Amino acid sequence: MKELSWDDQEIEISKLRKELAEANDTLEAIRTGQIDALVVSDDSGHSLFTLKSADRAYRLFIEQMTEGAVTLNHDGLITYCNSQFSQLVEYSLSNVMGNYFSDFIFNDDLPLYQELLSKGWTNNVKAEMRLRGATRSIDVQLSLNALEMDGDTSLSVIVTDLTQQKEIERELKAKNDQLRELNDALVASNHDLQQFASVASHDLQEPLRKIQVFTKLLKDNSFHQLPDTSRNFIEKIFNASQRMKVLIVDILTYSKLSAKDILTEKVDLKQIVTEIIEDFDLRIAEKNARVNVADLCEVEGNRGQLRQVFHNLISNALKFVSPDRHPIIEIRMKKLDPVELGLSIDDHSRYCRFTVSDNGIGFDETYTSSIFNLFETLNPKTAYEGSGIGLAIAKKIIEKHNGMIVAKSSIGEGSEFNVILPLKQPVADNE
Amino acid sequence: MSKKVILVEDDLDDRELFFTFFSQRKDIVLLPPASNGVELIEFLNGVVSDEELPDLIILDQNMPKMNGKRALSYLKSEKRFANIPVVVYSTYTDSSLIIDCKNLGAGMVAVKPIDFQGYQKMMDDFLQIFDEIRR
Repeated sequence: MKELSWDDQEIEISKLRKELAEANDTLEAIRTGQIDALVVSDDSGHSLFTLKSADRAYRLFIEQMTEGAVTLNHDGLITYCNSQFSQLVEYSLSNVMGNYFSDFIFNDDLPLYQELLSKGWTNNVKAEMRLRGATRSIDVQLSLNALEMDGDTSLSVIVTDLTQQKEIERELKAKNDQLRELNDALVASNHDLQQFASVASHDLQEPLRKIQVFTKLLKDNSFHQLPDTSRNFIEKIFNASQRMKVLIVDILTYSKLSAKDILTEKVDLKQIVTEIIEDFDLRIAEKNARVNVADLCEVEGNRGQLRQVFHNLISNALKFVSPDRHPIIEIRMKKLDPVELGLSIDDHSRYCRFTVSDNGIGFDETYTSSIFNLFETLNPKTAYEGSGIGLAIAKKIIEKHNGMIVAKSSIGEGSEFNVILPLKQPVADNE
Repeated sequence: MSKKVILVEDDLDDRELFFTFFSQRKDIVLLPPASNGVELIEFLNGVVSDEELPDLIILDQNMPKMNGKRALSYLKSEKRFANIPVVVYSTYTDSSLIIDCKNLGAGMVAVKPIDFQGYQKMMDDFLQIFDEIRR
């Protein structure tokens, strides 16, 4: 072989580069359907290669696809591929064509691929497997169809990239697992709460009742034999146990407010409030109180629970009375004016506001939200008896009824509790 | 004629209170108490003559082995005992206990009283069942 000079080599390289560029241009032109015929000159003269029109349409089509497309001959050799496929596996077109497609299949999936290949010539078949790219493995779906082309049959393979889908699936699975864990924890915690309710109902109440029974017996049988101080102690034990009984029953009521209760009966609040006031007859007379009840409408809800709300509110109004004046309690209803309460609620017409107001001792408005917490009492127990659960129960019930409860007050002047309820409850899920 | 009353109660204090508070009453005779549903059924099965069966059964709800509700349901399913009036009493009652017991055929459901007057009132109420039956 003749030694080439440096310059000659330069010329040779640039000539080869040009040829390569031309070849690439030709390839590009064929793939994009710009040309249908090629004239190739070689040692034996010129020869003409034509590309049939159906083939052209096919080439155009697969070049436009977002999926990878490959055609195989009967040996499983790649005779053609589009640029999407070459990008997917990160090999140049020339490094893909002429290779066996099986070279791009992940080892573990080879048996599956062979099976697919054997069926693909007679049926349209699909399967998921992994491809071997230049730098990574790729989850794909292969879809095989036998195609008539240029008077011969070849196998068309559509390659759908599943990477993103698989990633989303993995993420979804992780999220689902997380959700399941959280749900399990919630179920466990709810179960604990139910256990607690059961413990409170029986195991705590039984010994408490014993304390009541025997202090009562002590008082009834030997009260006169005891010195004054001891009588005083017995009274204190009895009162304390009585108070604990109230506490336990209230906690139970609170914990039993489960989501399962039916909320859709018609409840006449005027009737409920009238009944409650009758129940409080004695206390009203005792405190010389005046109770004014305006016309109240019907709402949808759980009768017993709504009764509890108004019972607690009226009971509070009768409890926190001012020593300087006769108590006046007002129970009113009003079409909702949310702005007045500083609230924004969508559909005004469907809501109603019930107000229980008093001229009692009132409270510092700093505590407006904390008074609805469990065991929150603002006043010394000796002055105003109570469990500190009443308003928490009221709030929970009202919120379960898709409403809200808001308190306004000023010390020494009185308090006002506003209960906002929808007139109709949303239709429950069919469970 | 005084009624034969059997108390089914596991708590010793509560049993004692029964005898303390009711020993004066002429309208009832307290049979020896059973401490749970199983003991009650054993006792009843051991009674040979129907005349010897109790006139009234008072069941505590919260008992080991067989609680009040289950004992009640058993009694009402047995032909020989189904007609004996049964009442249930408990430290704590809620609407579901009351409804369940009524559905099972309890004559009455009561909250355990805490003093002498309460006990007398409860027994008076229980005995009214017989007036209702007669009517």
